[in-house]
Amino acid sequence: MLRQAAISCLIAVLALPAVARTRPHYGGTLRVEVEGDGSKSSNGLIWRLEMDGLTQFGVDGTPRPALAIRWASENNDHRWQFWLRPAVQFRNGWPLTSAAVVASLTQSCPTNCPWTALHAVGASVVITSDSPMPNLPSLLAENQFLIHLMDAGDGKEPPCCVGTGPFQLAQGLPLNLVANENYWGGRPFVDKVEILTNKSVRDQWLDLSVGRADLVEVPAEQLRQAQQQHLTVVASPPVTLLALAVSDSSVLSNPNLRTAIALAVDRNALSNVIFQKQGEVTASMLPGALTGYSFLFPTDRDLNKAHEVRGGLNTPPLTLAADNNPTMQLAAQRLALNLHEAGFTVQVTNAATAQHKDLALLQLTLASSQPQPALESILRSVGVATPVIENTPAGIYKMEREFLDTHTLIPLLYLPRAYAISGRVRDLRLSPDGTPLLADVSLQDAQ
Amino acid sequence: MRASAAQQVRDIIRPNEPSREIRIPMKLPCLIAMVICSLTALSAQVQNTAPSPWQQPAAALAEQVADLLGPGQAHLTIRNLSTISIDQIPSIRRLLTQELKTHGVINSGAESANVIRVTLSENAHERLWVAEVVEGVQTRVVMVRLDPGRAQQPQSASGLTMLRQTIFATSDQVLAALETSNGVVLVEPEEIVIFVQTPDGWHEQKRVGMGQTRALTRDPRSVVYPSTDATGFEAFTPGTACAGAYQSEKGWTIHCHESDDPWPLAWPIALPDPNNGAASIKAFYNAARNYFTGVVTPNVNLDLPPFYTAVQFPRPNGIGLLIGGIDGKVQILETAPLKTIAGTRDWGSDFAVLQTGCGSGTQIVASGSGEASSDSLRAYDLPAQEAIPASAPLAMDGTVAALASSPDGKSLIAIVHTAANQYEVDRVTASCN
Repeated sequence: MLRQAAISCLIAVLALPAVARTRPHYGGTLRVEVEGDGSKSSNGLIWRLEMDGLTQFGVDGTPRPALAIRWASENNDHRWQFWLRPAVQFRNGWPLTSAAVVASLTQSCPTNCPWTALHAVGASVVITSDSPMPNLPSLLAENQFLIHLMDAGDGKEPPCCVGTGPFQLAQGLPLNLVANENYWGGRPFVDKVEILTNKSVRDQWLDLSVGRADLVEVPAEQLRQAQQQHLTVVASPPVTLLALAVSDSSVLSNPNLRTAIALAVDRNALSNVIFQKQGEVTASMLPGALTGYSFLFPTDRDLNKAHEVRGGLNTPPLTLAADNNPTMQLAAQRLALNLHEAGFTVQVTNAATAQHKDLALLQLTLASSQPQPALESILRSVGVATPVIENTPAGIYKMEREFLDTHTLIPLLYLPRAYAISGRVRDLRLSPDGTPLLADVSLQDAQ
Repeated sequence: MRASAAQQVRDIIRPNEPSREIRIPMKLPCLIAMVICSLTALSAQVQNTAPSPWQQPAAALAEQVADLLGPGQAHLTIRNLSTISIDQIPSIRRLLTQELKTHGVINSGAESANVIRVTLSENAHERLWVAEVVEGVQTRVVMVRLDPGRAQQPQSASGLTMLRQTIFATSDQVLAALETSNGVVLVEPEEIVIFVQTPDGWHEQKRVGMGQTRALTRDPRSVVYPSTDATGFEAFTPGTACAGAYQSEKGWTIHCHESDDPWPLAWPIALPDPNNGAASIKAFYNAARNYFTGVVTPNVNLDLPPFYTAVQFPRPNGIGLLIGGIDGKVQILETAPLKTIAGTRDWGSDFAVLQTGCGSGTQIVASGSGEASSDSLRAYDLPAQEAIPASAPLAMDGTVAALASSPDGKSLIAIVHTAANQYEVDRVTASCN
């Protein structure tokens, strides 16, 4: 009898009309918390919310129209012309013009630019270079080249980030960004994004658990912990390259010493101990998922060979600079220990205050998911302004091999970027570089 | 002189067997050998007529290796880091060995000074075969690219079987599509594009900007229907309406204008009996959002809630209006008040009417409520106030961005946004089991 009643109740519950998943809703406030200062760094969230590039990356990693609606190259990629989207305005109401784009790009790239000259030609921008620029549309989608207003009209440079993006910065703290009703790509679904900066990851997770936050950060080394706590995590493929930059001047101008350093680093220990096996051990600049050839760069440590190559050369103490956060400092300490075992004396310092750096632990972002522009982007970020013209796997491999054989950059790990979200967040996607695309997010309880 | 294998077998057997009894078994091995030879020859012939998919990459890689190595001996090793099935490896090895041999490179034992290490690898876009050619202390690398293997589309069935056929694919965003007699009309965010199909493939016939004065919403929507005289089409996007007409001497003429006119909810022919007195309903669309306001014409004497989708559906007592509200509820209007439909837990926001001729004759096909990236379509019967599944879910390999009945109601047009950022125009039909 009791069993029949239970079954009847169950059937009744199942027969109740349930609310189905719908198209995205408009409205509501998305509450985001970040560890750093989201407004100042070019990797900060606010840049992507407030500004657009001439191009943007599609989900397949290829450049798609953004502020430029089309582009064409001539003269074997030495000259590019980008035609601007009409009727786009900056946050202050000023129209997007080719002159404004040229001013913004000029300010974004004072030296070592992919181009030689920029010209405003009618409603288009012409970019020329002495070298071919096959990857220019992809490079222009990167954070460095987002377009912002350079002249507020009074001859003064306006405050940061007056752009054309899907959100507009409002006054006050926490940082409030309101939806741009006239955004060319369509008004964002949420009305407002509220960003709390300088929150520790522990506090972020606490706020998420009590419903005070909707989107918080999950560092790669804490992904396992987030899973154990049953957080809803959205993670990118490996997009952050942890690499050791090695100076090729002063004492390390000797290539044998650089080779010895490359042979002495213990990537597996770094991955297992510091990053809790969440990284992808790599000795290549591009991850295997992009190229399919990363296995050609051996990742194993060879301490005996490191000693052999170093050949008993004595070196003065080396400085290893790393960001002043606990994980990067720990990783740097671990590397210092590796190098000590190979006969080097290494002192770890804070990258922000270091006067001299023999070695630097870097986090480089894989901007594109296409190997050719991705390699050029990484090379540019370590100061090598060489266009990657080859577009075949063999050609890209050759270029990567030649650069890595100098041992001025030692790839260590590829790490994912990840975020935890509350139950009201829908359709969070990440860009190819792992940045959350907040304009596409909607809230389940918005009406 | 060497004896043949058959002769050797005969010699071994002969001492122990009486001569008369030997004759028949002696013929049997010959017969078996002949059959085996014939089968081998036939097999080789079949292999020749249907070349292996690995033939071309094996030949290309072998040629590159031979260019590096020159004629001689080398030890070939193969490792598989790709999704190629392990049972394919022997045939790949055989092909590589053959191709290397044709270039004078003979596969030798592990003692050889030269080693060819082949790795079958892949990346997110394609397969990659890499050969490391080791000569003493020198290692050189060559590689060839292959197209990725495509996964087979799963099929499933229960009461009726739904079938999906991709008729057009593009990298440009598509909001709505209409099949014509020899092509397709695509509504893109800012343009209407007409493609025709010729024996050479698809060709763009006409492209016209719609001239919107305001930006579209983030989830833009559109509808396109045949014109009432069936020689053209009418298309609606937020704030804009377009009409296209085809004349054999002039081709297509398309005119667009700003418009807040209500959108037709369905092409009338999609209903089983368009002359039964039920008027075709039009609904006002909220151009600043992604839903209909709830105001419809002609008036239905009831305040409808805002909705994403509404279709007219045959009911025992006439035509009902099925509404997918922005709150996720699916309700039906027959006589006031609105009644909630149960069993729609798995429905997404898009549904359309499909005349299958199976069961009740007409079903509702709804998108799924699961992850948007792995959307599906499923047919439902609606005998009363509960939706009853009539088919298995049909995987769509992407997000169903729009769903509409075709003019004759016997198929649906689904716009699918795939993970590869392609927009597919799929024709969905059903057959009775």
